Amino acid sequence: MSDALLNLLENPRVWRGRQPTDVSGGSLAVYPTGYARLDCHLPGGGWPRHALTEILLEHYGRGELKLLMPALARLSSAGETSLGDGQDNNRADHYGCSDEKEGWIAWIAPPFQPYPPALLQWGINLAHVLIVHARQGVEALWAAEQALSSGNCAAVLVWSDALDNRASRRLQLAAEKGQSLAIAFRPLEAEGQASAAALRLVLTAGEKGTDVRILKSRGGRPITVPDMIHDYAPVSAPDYER
Amino acid sequence: MLPRDTLPARRDGQTPSVREPRPRLKAPAGRAPVPAQQSLSLTSSPEHAEPLPVARIRPRQLWLCLHFPLLPLEALNNTRNGAVPAAVFENRQGNRRVLLANAAAERLGITLGLSINAGLALAPSLQLEERNTDKENRVLERLAGWAERFTSIVSLELPDLLLLEIRGSLRLFGDIEALRRQVENGLQEQGFQPSMAVAPTVLGSIWLARAGGNVSIVDGTNLAGALGALPLRCLEWPESIHESLTGMGIHCIADCLRLPRQGFARRFGAGRLLQLDRALGRLPDPRRSYRAPERFSEECELPEEQSDSELLLEVCMHLLSNLEYFLTTRQIEVRHVQFSFFHLRSSATHLSLGCRQAGRKKEQWFELLAIRFDRLALPEPVISIRLRSSRGQALQPEEGRLFRTRDRGYSRSIAHLTERLSARMGDDCVYGVTTAAEHRPQYAWTTAEAEPQASRLTPCAAIPNPQAHSPLLLADIRRTSSLLLRRPLWMLPEPLPLTIREGNPEYSGPLKLLDGPERLETGWWDGNGIARDYYVAVNPKGIHLWIYRNRNKEASWHLHGIFG
Repeated sequence: MSDALLNLLENPRVWRGRQPTDVSGGSLAVYPTGYARLDCHLPGGGWPRHALTEILLEHYGRGELKLLMPALARLSSAGETSLGDGQDNNRADHYGCSDEKEGWIAWIAPPFQPYPPALLQWGINLAHVLIVHARQGVEALWAAEQALSSGNCAAVLVWSDALDNRASRRLQLAAEKGQSLAIAFRPLEAEGQASAAALRLVLTAGEKGTDVRILKSRGGRPITVPDMIHDYAPVSAPDYER
Repeated sequence: MLPRDTLPARRDGQTPSVREPRPRLKAPAGRAPVPAQQSLSLTSSPEHAEPLPVARIRPRQLWLCLHFPLLPLEALNNTRNGAVPAAVFENRQGNRRVLLANAAAERLGITLGLSINAGLALAPSLQLEERNTDKENRVLERLAGWAERFTSIVSLELPDLLLLEIRGSLRLFGDIEALRRQVENGLQEQGFQPSMAVAPTVLGSIWLARAGGNVSIVDGTNLAGALGALPLRCLEWPESIHESLTGMGIHCIADCLRLPRQGFARRFGAGRLLQLDRALGRLPDPRRSYRAPERFSEECELPEEQSDSELLLEVCMHLLSNLEYFLTTRQIEVRHVQFSFFHLRSSATHLSLGCRQAGRKKEQWFELLAIRFDRLALPEPVISIRLRSSRGQALQPEEGRLFRTRDRGYSRSIAHLTERLSARMGDDCVYGVTTAAEHRPQYAWTTAEAEPQASRLTPCAAIPNPQAHSPLLLADIRRTSSLLLRRPLWMLPEPLPLTIREGNPEYSGPLKLLDGPERLETGWWDGNGIARDYYVAVNPKGIHLWIYRNRNKEASWHLHGIFG
């Protein structure tokens, strides 16, 4: 490419559809999901950091936790270890947070009890698990916003039926402020609603397992990844290590 | 060798007149108490061969006495404002008479002893309030706590005196004058007008302060002269004694000191003689020094019933800043505080706040208060607010970073978040988790405090290798994942009985068993024994479930978990 073209492309005002960028103009920071097949369809190759991700599903138990576990396992044992690849590392240093992040994972208003022995099997550091039994609805959103913007939590999972476009915007801003990964679980009916989330996934029953449909992804395109999750046990080591 | 009886005369003769006071001050401390028959007179008159032991006081002491003559007025909030005529009255056998009036009221002719009806006739706008000695004592105690910033020895003398031993503080504050100014300014800021006096003895300083103050006597030799000139009123002796002394033509302390000791003691009581001796420093005058309470407790009365939450929060903030000062000076912090909102008719509303991490900062408590206050239903307007703290614990110094790269958010620990969350949701609703060494699934975990240092992981039956519990070894867990017992990520709080159709359990359709059984049994030691066969099942919608069959009862199936 000619220098003139490169200069033009470096101009932050030029938006490139397939080039994942975040608001500040740098390349999109992500946490790898731990599922290589899914990563290659997600912009940047993983869960968008410091942003809201929505997971829409019909029934609990569709594999929504399994999908998150590898990334959460890495986040929860983070703190002393670096996250992601080298590029991300620099980025973390740039924000000065790489050594201060405590790796807490907040579960806000979970529909059932998250079962610690199983979490441990998935590699979650239980010392960094915070469970908040908020009443459903607005209180759960309030708690999620507090947890996100406090900056202590590496990830915040929230179950709330009161989530709407305005609330998603608030959570998105809180995630940016606290530099946390925000995951909201919503019913399938929310598919038609607008949302400020950076990434929206729909989990549906597939032929052999659970299909993951990317409903919206900032800097990516909608696509369906079939049979993403097909077992109930922890993923095997090679896939996990990625 | 000289004969014995010449010794006193010789000693008198040896004392050079220019340096007369010095030997008295340096008189041996072990000298016997003053004989009762001696005259009280201090002046070494020629009739007395033996010089009087003046310097029994330790010259190390120097007392600053704060006398609050206006305390009944100053203790009441409403009468603080000097521009409004205000007076305090006392109820004596149904006679309500003015005890004290502020300057504005005095200008209108309100004087001591006036009946309040007469007072109101003179000044219809007069604000009248009954004297409240309880409150005066509380105020004085608070001031004693405040005065501890000047010296470690503060003594409380009810009803209206504070005594500060300042000899030890002089070097820090410069000199007496500088210290006095600081004390005076500090008190004036709080709305008090004390009269102050400094003397080497406690009673001496008290009497001087009562006489009007503004006297500093550092040298013990000047004390007798200064005290001698004081009128007898300063002693606050009973009226009968006062009258009989006046009848004898005795009007000041110096007159009193000229009386023969024995007769004085017989007529007016040995206690009064003791007082005079102590005031002059002939006898020691030990005082109980004030000890600050271990817990903070302060009440703030509102001028009128108030229901405006912003105003109430402002008062709470004021109390919290007093709490912070209290805790900071003692280098302690607390984990619980309690606000009590008092109402005129209904019983008080209490609001307890707890912190995971002990704290003393007012902002920290105020944030918790604000979260809870929103949802607090006050049945009535509030007339007064009280703040109490729990017992304190030693201050944990904050961990600081040499280079703080970013300030927002990260400077606060997870405890700060859990405090705020549990302030709104309740303590039981915010928790961390840990595993327990137990094979029964429902007991295999417990809640734990969510705190930064937490890394307790007890052995867990679901993971065979006990070494694999540290986060660093989690890779091992993954490698041995084929050995793991299947456990669901979602657990139901209570097992859900499943309907059975044609011998098969159902949950949104017939279940297909994929894996099992895993037989879990017994628990005789706590009476909650189980006998279950656990299976992994899948329903027609493709949801993986963890179900069990109770082996005690025939064909009883339950849903226990969901493989999220």
